[in-house]
Amino acid sequence: MDELDLLKKDWNKESSNHTKVSVKDIYGMLHKKSSSIVKTLFYISIAELAFWIIINTIPYFTSDDYQEKLDTMFPNEYVFMGITIFSYIVILVFIYFLYNAYKNISVTDSAKKLMENILKTRKIIKYYVLYNLIMMGVSLAFGFYLSLQHDTNVINSIESLGENGLIIIITILAVFSIIFLVIFWLFYKLIYGILLKRLNRNYKELKKLDL
Amino acid sequence: MNKELEHSFVELLEKHQNIVHKVCRLYTNNYDAHNDLFQEITIQLWKAYPKFRGDAKFSTWMYRVGLNTAITLYRKSKRTIKTQDFEGVSFKIKAEDYDDTQEEQLKVLYKAVHQLNDIEKALVFLYLEDKDYKEISETLGISEVNARVKMNRIKTKLRTILNP
Repeated sequence: MDELDLLKKDWNKESSNHTKVSVKDIYGMLHKKSSSIVKTLFYISIAELAFWIIINTIPYFTSDDYQEKLDTMFPNEYVFMGITIFSYIVILVFIYFLYNAYKNISVTDSAKKLMENILKTRKIIKYYVLYNLIMMGVSLAFGFYLSLQHDTNVINSIESLGENGLIIIITILAVFSIIFLVIFWLFYKLIYGILLKRLNRNYKELKKLDL
Repeated sequence: MNKELEHSFVELLEKHQNIVHKVCRLYTNNYDAHNDLFQEITIQLWKAYPKFRGDAKFSTWMYRVGLNTAITLYRKSKRTIKTQDFEGVSFKIKAEDYDDTQEEQLKVLYKAVHQLNDIEKALVFLYLEDKDYKEISETLGISEVNARVKMNRIKTKLRTILNP
């Protein structure tokens, strides 16, 4: 006899050895909190959205100095306004995509489809973070460039460093940026790595079956 | 959600709870983890229940949600780590039903099934539940041919474990 048929005979014969759950217990369970990865992913995406919105807006609203600096750097106020409007549109677009992605996650889909939809959601968050990192890099580089043109303090400190002042400053900035990016990347990998380890493993296994 | 819906759901789940227990038994190996997964599957079933149209059988629908929760959604809770292993207790075989060899074989088989990966377990589970390859392939999202091929490989794997 086939090994699994032997198992099947026993499987179907054997009623659950586990204690039967009562109607009362089930009622209780309905109101307990879910510990599903989709829920965790949802909280993380909200935190990511909030984090980057705060990072982008706080300095603008709280510091008058920063505001003044921005005004001198952007002689044409429409350029600055354009950039601000653009960044809010991008945030709204991401929120729209995220909302759609979450709406598409359904526990009644096939296992593969469910996994794909979860991974798609995670990808949207990844692109959002990537977009913010790139924007941050571009604005830092741009800010540095404008400071070199307009900020006398910066120009003086570079001159005081001697002939290679500019190269030294650029090297220091580049090193710090790389360190920041690596730490950020590790943190990101850690969060999603732990959360989606099992899903990724099972998704790979399912994909392997269909090769 | 209204009381009537809640009531009908609880009644159905209570009646078909054995399916959920079987999923939990395959994917967990201790009492607390079993209860934890049972609870998570219940929550997922309840969340999906308003969309359950009744065009599918409740039990068939449960297989899908149960397996999806076990394979994809479930995040092991912290409290399930330091607990007593119940391997061997869960699959206790009634001695009077089998001769010694068969009993021993079954023990080894259950142990072997527990060692399979999540996807292989899902295939075995649906096979043990007498599902045809069409339903197995639809539940997992792979082709029917590949479900069949994989199932044969699992059978060979189990045979090797059983008869080294």
